Amino acid sequence: MNSRIIYPTDDGVAIIVPAPECGLTIEEIAAKDVPAGKPFKIVDVADIPTDRTFRNAWEYTA
Amino acid sequence: MASIVSAGTTSATALNMSADTSGVLQLASNNGTVAVTVDTSQKVGVGTTSPTQKLTVAGGLGFSSALTFTGAGYEIGQDGAAFLCFSGGSAGTRFIDASTATEWMRVDASGNLQFNSGYGSVAVAYGCRAWVNFNGTGTVAIRASGNVSSITDNGSGDYTVNFTTAMPDVNYSVVALTQFINDNRGTFAAMGAEIRSVTTPLTTSACRIGTGRTFSPYSLEDALSVYVAIFR
Repeated sequence: MNSRIIYPTDDGVAIIVPAPECGLTIEEIAAKDVPAGKPFKIVDVADIPTDRTFRNAWEYTA
Repeated sequence: MASIVSAGTTSATALNMSADTSGVLQLASNNGTVAVTVDTSQKVGVGTTSPTQKLTVAGGLGFSSALTFTGAGYEIGQDGAAFLCFSGGSAGTRFIDASTATEWMRVDASGNLQFNSGYGSVAVAYGCRAWVNFNGTGTVAIRASGNVSSITDNGSGDYTVNFTTAMPDVNYSVVALTQFINDNRGTFAAMGAEIRSVTTPLTTSACRIGTGRTFSPYSLEDALSVYVAIFR
């Protein structure tokens, strides 16, 4: 899948990476794996930075 | 004695057909093509004139309902969901090599799958209930997985493995290995994986792991490859 799900955490932002072989849609994965009550967004993988040097400083922007 | 076709003398033998003492009894159709043979040992052949068992069938068998082994409690049939079903005895179902009588596999009375597979005897198989191989660097991505719906990248070296089908409880075992980029950071044997020290690192739906330095100064670091297997 070329999509990612992002949601805010107390420390910054979490990024859900779907398993290609799981047989679920990105929406189904979001419904299952995003913690209840958390806002989330489905984004393209290209929107996620590949330089993770400051990964823990990333923030979620609604 | 000659061959005889006669009316029976009781309701159980309404029609009686007997071959002579040296012959066989046959039913034929289509101008003499033999369909059923009863040989001199009372073995019945269907599609063969030389039965080797009490009933020998040369050709396919069709059943419109379950095949039941009378008195033994065994049954081969099909359930409502179109699965082929083997219903074994009270001790379970065994799969045995016919020539050596070696037992290869068993489903015991508790539903546990047991198999030999070089172990020497059948023993309960404890399943890997989920597994994943993923790249934790750059564009974090799953290379391959089983029963894993996704991984959550929580931060540097901090990942949650989410299960497609939940575990029955949290008493499962997590096995994790990591591979780091060889950038001369020192003792790679001390780089590893851990269960994250968070409030609920293991739940029925996910497990949270960390990768990084296991020596001072401890730190979570992204791993080039993370291998996780869940056993229960």
